[in-house]
Amino acid sequence: MTRDVLCDSGVLISLTAGCLDNILYHFSDHNNVRFVIPPSVEYETVTRPLYNNLKKHLFSAIRIKDAIADGVIEVVDAKVEDEARRVMHAANNMFYMKGQPVRLLQFGESEMLALASALGVEDIIVDERTTRMLIEAPFQLKEHLEKEFQVNVMVNKNSFRELSSRISKLNVLRSSELVVLAYENGYFKNFSNLQREALEAALYKMKYSGCSISFDEIKGYIEMER
Amino acid sequence: MAAKILSAFRKRNQRLLRKLNDEVLKATAMHCNLACFNLAVFSYVLSKIVSKPRFLRPEYKSGLIGIERVFERLTERLDSASEAELTQIFSELEAAIAHLEEKDARFVVDLVTKGKLKMAATFYAQGMSLGVAAEMTGLEKQEILDYAGETMMFDRLQAEKTISERMKIARKILGG
Repeated sequence: MTRDVLCDSGVLISLTAGCLDNILYHFSDHNNVRFVIPPSVEYETVTRPLYNNLKKHLFSAIRIKDAIADGVIEVVDAKVEDEARRVMHAANNMFYMKGQPVRLLQFGESEMLALASALGVEDIIVDERTTRMLIEAPFQLKEHLEKEFQVNVMVNKNSFRELSSRISKLNVLRSSELVVLAYENGYFKNFSNLQREALEAALYKMKYSGCSISFDEIKGYIEMER
Repeated sequence: MAAKILSAFRKRNQRLLRKLNDEVLKATAMHCNLACFNLAVFSYVLSKIVSKPRFLRPEYKSGLIGIERVFERLTERLDSASEAELTQIFSELEAAIAHLEEKDARFVVDLVTKGKLKMAATFYAQGMSLGVAAEMTGLEKQEILDYAGETMMFDRLQAEKTISERMKIARKILGG
């Protein structure tokens, strides 16, 4: 049975920037995983760089386009605009600083969360930090805002409940977990006695490409796989 | 605030410009408006200009005066101008800075884009999503991710889940 997993644009960007996008093929071929993206992610990662000839990002765009053509990544348009607006409204009216709502999410990010609910998908891969924290630990995000801005952040309980009822049950992964699991499944075996070094290098590449992972977590993963 | 930025620039006071930039940045995250955002970008860019000794040489004097003139008009019109007029003034400011740089260009990315990138990464570090930071600055997410990846922003937060918990979820979802 095929298992659908939603992807955000950051994951595709990190993996292609690190030339690790074949990991998507690995999970598609060996574990029957289908990586699903909404049209907005396709637009951000493929259409816009190609159409606007953004030279720095063309190669990533071509690699993602190729994975879409190969069916490893599937673009699903489920017409979730209304639900996406509700998610965005709840997220952007959840925290208040000095009486002003804090704008946290953009439409594309809300669309991905809305698509998960519309498709009944429970698993998403997100490298972007704020969306992940909203799902996993919204109060930690509140504390972070308080620390950054040195003000009290007020919580709108209605918006909090509304958002929580929509997204709190999602399982979240980052591209880093994809890389570690691929290592455990033998993806790096061609590196023979350098497999663990290759894993470590790949994790650092993910971090430097914007995956929200800390140096301590990378060290932890390397220890774990020793 | 715009008047304070102009005064600090006229005095070529980089430290003060950075301090003012910090203040505008905080206000931008709360108010999310065009003027605040552009003031954040340009206070940062002006601090970079002042920090570079080559821009203080005589051949750049007219360029610096050109920037001051546009900024002066901005301070006069900031409270009463329409959004379209403000956009126009900020475009002129960007052109004046580009003109300063074109005599001796050293990087592929110009100063204003660099300023926008720095602001976008800061917004993201402060707690806004990557998408909001990209939308506010008009930059590609990829650019912001590259910049953010080279900062310690992901090391300054306590992990929400342990890596063992994350791998347990990963194995459950993807198999392994």
